[in-house]
Amino acid sequence: MTEAYTPEERRLEWLYGLLGLYNGLVVLLMAGFMSLTQEKIITTMSAHAFLTTLPIVPLPAFKGFLASVGAYALLLLLGKLYRHGGIASGQRHLVFAAEIGVCMLLMRSLNLAYDGVVLLAVADLMHRYQGENQSWLLLGAMLGLYFMANYNLAIFQRHVAPFDVYAAYYRPEVQSVLLAIKNGLISLNIVLFVLYLVLLVQSKHHEKERIASLNKQLEEANVRLRAYAIEAERTAETRERNRLAREIHDTLGHTLTGIVAGLDACLVLVDAAPGAVKKQMEKIRATAQHGIVDVRRSVKKLRPDDLEKMPLKQAVKKVIAEFGASSGVDIHLVELGWPEKLREDEEEVIYRIVQEGITNARRHGKADKVTVTCGLEPGRFYIIIADNGTGCEAPQQGFGLRHMEERLALLHGRLRYWSDNGFTLEATIPMGKNVMDNNGEDNG
Amino acid sequence: MKRGFALYLAFLLFMTCFLGWYLTRPKVLTVGLFAGSNWNVPEGDSYALLEEAIKRFEAEHPGVTVKYVSGIRKDDYSEWLAERLLKGEEPDIFVVPGEDFNLYASIGALQPLDRSMNGDESFDPSVYYPRALDYGRYQGISYALPVGAVTTLMFVNKTLLAKEGIPIPANNWTWQDFLQICKAVTKDTDGDGRLDQFGVYDYTWRKAALTNDVPIFAEDGRSADFSGPHMEEVMRFMAELHAVSKGQEVTAKDFDMGRVAFRPFSFAEYRTYKPYPWRIKKYSSFEWDCIKLPAGPSGGNGSIMQTMLVGISARSSEQRLAWELLKTICYDPVIQEMVLTKSQGLPVRRDVVESARAQELFTNSTPGSDEMNLKTVSEVMADSLTEPKFPRYKEAMNLADNRLFHAVQENSSLSNALSQVQKEINIYLQR
Repeated sequence: MTEAYTPEERRLEWLYGLLGLYNGLVVLLMAGFMSLTQEKIITTMSAHAFLTTLPIVPLPAFKGFLASVGAYALLLLLGKLYRHGGIASGQRHLVFAAEIGVCMLLMRSLNLAYDGVVLLAVADLMHRYQGENQSWLLLGAMLGLYFMANYNLAIFQRHVAPFDVYAAYYRPEVQSVLLAIKNGLISLNIVLFVLYLVLLVQSKHHEKERIASLNKQLEEANVRLRAYAIEAERTAETRERNRLAREIHDTLGHTLTGIVAGLDACLVLVDAAPGAVKKQMEKIRATAQHGIVDVRRSVKKLRPDDLEKMPLKQAVKKVIAEFGASSGVDIHLVELGWPEKLREDEEEVIYRIVQEGITNARRHGKADKVTVTCGLEPGRFYIIIADNGTGCEAPQQGFGLRHMEERLALLHGRLRYWSDNGFTLEATIPMGKNVMDNNGEDNG
Repeated sequence: MKRGFALYLAFLLFMTCFLGWYLTRPKVLTVGLFAGSNWNVPEGDSYALLEEAIKRFEAEHPGVTVKYVSGIRKDDYSEWLAERLLKGEEPDIFVVPGEDFNLYASIGALQPLDRSMNGDESFDPSVYYPRALDYGRYQGISYALPVGAVTTLMFVNKTLLAKEGIPIPANNWTWQDFLQICKAVTKDTDGDGRLDQFGVYDYTWRKAALTNDVPIFAEDGRSADFSGPHMEEVMRFMAELHAVSKGQEVTAKDFDMGRVAFRPFSFAEYRTYKPYPWRIKKYSSFEWDCIKLPAGPSGGNGSIMQTMLVGISARSSEQRLAWELLKTICYDPVIQEMVLTKSQGLPVRRDVVESARAQELFTNSTPGSDEMNLKTVSEVMADSLTEPKFPRYKEAMNLADNRLFHAVQENSSLSNALSQVQKEINIYLQR
C-alpha cells in the first residue's frame, strides 16, 4: 500500500493521524476533567448544590469517562473502516451513518462540551469525496452534519450537564482559565481541520492537473500518430504504384515490346517470306499468351489478401471486426443471406464496397455506429451500409462512390445512397440464372 | 467447520449459563431514608416502620433481599442522596425530601409511576388523600407516593381560657373570633407594667394567607402574587394581631410557661408532646388541645399538610420489584396502620385513618386526647393544602417573611408595600 502513496498523500494521512490523536487527547482531557470534578464535588459535600444547577443526573464519573473514551475509540475504528476498508459503496454509507451516530453519542457523553469530533467525521467524508457529480451530495452531507450538530445541541441541551456547571465549581479566576483552555482546544482543532482541508484540496487539485497533463500528452501522441498513419498510407500508395509500374514494365511492357518487335519483323518479312511470318506470328501469339498469363498473375496479386485466404463471408466479417476494433466504431453485421456461389470479381466488388462503405462512414460521416446488412432477394444480392453519422446531402464524388458505381456497373449492379439519420448506402448485384443468361448473351 | 461448530456450541452453553445465573441471581433492593422523624419531632425507633415493611415484602418475594443504610441524619440526608445520585449508587427506593422533590423529578432521577399505577390491578390511587397524592406529582406526572403526613392544627391552652372564662372555640371559628380572644387574654397579670399573658405565639402570615385562600406562588415557582385583595386582608389582619401585644415579643418560653392562649402546631408535635413522657417534660403546667386554624374572610378552616414522599430511582435495575416494595411501604393497609403507632405522623390512606381500628390504636398510643377524633383529623387532612415544593421555596419564603415583617413594622401604605415585596420576590424567583 505504502508504495502507492505519493508524498502528498502521505502528508495528508499523517495530518489526519494528528487530527485523530489531537481529538483523542481533547476527549480524554474533557472527560477526565468532568469526571475528576464530579468526584471532587462529591468529596467536598457539594453534591446537592451541584445537582440543583443541572438539568439531568449525570453519569457516574468513571462510567461517563469510559463512555466518552469508548465512543471515541469506536469513532476512530469506524473512520478507519470508512477510509480504507475494502467495502462496497452501500456498506460504506452505512458505516458513515454509524460514524455520525457514534459522533452524536460521544458529544452527548461529553456533555456537548466539545463538538470538534464532528469535524473528524467531515474529514472522513471529504477524504472519500471524488468527482464533480458528488459535489451536491457532499454539500448536502455537510449541511446535514451541520444541522445535526445544531439539532443535537438543541435537543440535548436540556439533557446534559453543561461544561460551565462543572467549571462553576472552581474559583472564578480558575474558571476563566478553564474556559480559555477549552476554547483554545476547540480553536486548535479547527486550525488543524482547516489545514487538513487545504492539503486535501491541494492534493486533489494536483491529481487533477496531473491527469490533465497526461491527457494532453495523449492527445499530442494521437495527432502524431494520425499524421504518421497518413504518411504511411501515402508511402504505401507510392510503393504500390511503383510496384504496379514495375509489374507493368516487367510483364506487359516486356510482352508488348516483344510483340511490337515481332510484328516489326513480320512487316519486313510479310512479302518476302510469308511462311516465316506465319512462324513469327505464332511466336508473337505465344508471347501475347504468356503476357496474358503474366497480367492475370499480376491482377491476382492485387486481390485483397483476405479474399485469397478465406471465403467472402469470413473476409467481410474480418474486415468489419478489424475496422471496428481499430477505429472504435460499433459495427453491426446483419446477415440475412449469402449467395451460394460467387465469382472472384463479384466477391472482390462486394468486399471492396463493404470496406469502402465503413471507411466512409467513419471518415466522412464521423459515425460511431454502423449497421451492415446483407441479404438475398430473388435474382439479386444486396448490401446496405447505414450509419448514424452526419450524413451528406450531396455527396462529393471522390468519396469512392464513383469507383464503387463503376465496379458495380461492370457486374450490372446498381448503387443508391441517401441521407437520413446518417448516411445509407445500398448496393445490389444481380444474381442467379438470369444473370448468367445475360452474361451469356453479352458474351455471345 | 468442526471447530466453528464447537465454538458455536461453547457460546450457546455460555449464554445458557449466563442466562440461568442472571435469572436466578439473588436480587437486592436498597432503600434510602434518614434516621429520626420527618416532622422534626423526637422519634424513638425511626426504622421500625421500614423494618416491618421489609419483613412483609421479603416474605412475599422469596429470593429478594432489601437493605438500607441506617444512621443518616435528616439534616445530612439531602446531601447524602445527592452524592449517591452523582456516584450512580442511589438506592432503588428512597425518601424524597419535599424541597428536593421538584429537582429530582425534573432532572429525571425519579421514575415516573403512572404506568405502574395504572397497570397494577391491586393498586387504587383514590384511597389516598388527593392532596397527599398530588404532592408526589410534578407537571401532572406521579413520581412518588406518600407514606405519611401531618397537618398543622391550632393548639389551645385550655387552662388559660378556662381561667379567663372563655369557651374553647369551635372548629369553624374565624379570624374575628381569634382576634377577639387574643385581645381578651392579652394583659398584664402581675401589674409590673409589662404584658405577661398573650393571645398567640408563632402564628405567621403564611398560615393566615393559607386560611384566606391566597395562592402566593405559581405552580412552577417562577412567580409570586402578593398584590391581590386577599393578601391585603391577610396583612391587615396580621397588623391588627401584631398590635394586640403592643409591640412586645412573645417567646417560646412564654408559651412553655402556659402564658399564651394559642399556638399553631403540627399533628406530629401534638402527638409527640401530648403523651407521656414528653408531656411531663415540656408542658406540665396546663391542659391543652387542638382545633382547626381560624378561617379568614375569604378562606376556610384549612390547614397545611406536610407529606413524606417515597420514590423509585429512574436508574434502578429492578423497576418491577421496586414498585412492589414501594407499594408495600406506601400502600399496604397494615403498614399504613403502623404509621399511627410507630411514627408521629398520620397514614395517607383515608380509609385507614377513618377506620375504627385506627381510632382505637390512636387513642391507645396518644393518651389524654379526648377532643381528638380521627374523623375530624381526616376532614382537616382532606381539605388541607400542601406547601409548594419548588427548589427555592424556602429561600423565597424567608425573603418574603423578612420583607413583610418590615412592611408590617413600618406600617406604610399596604398595597404599595405589597407590590414592592412582590417585585422583589419575583426578581429572586426569576433569577
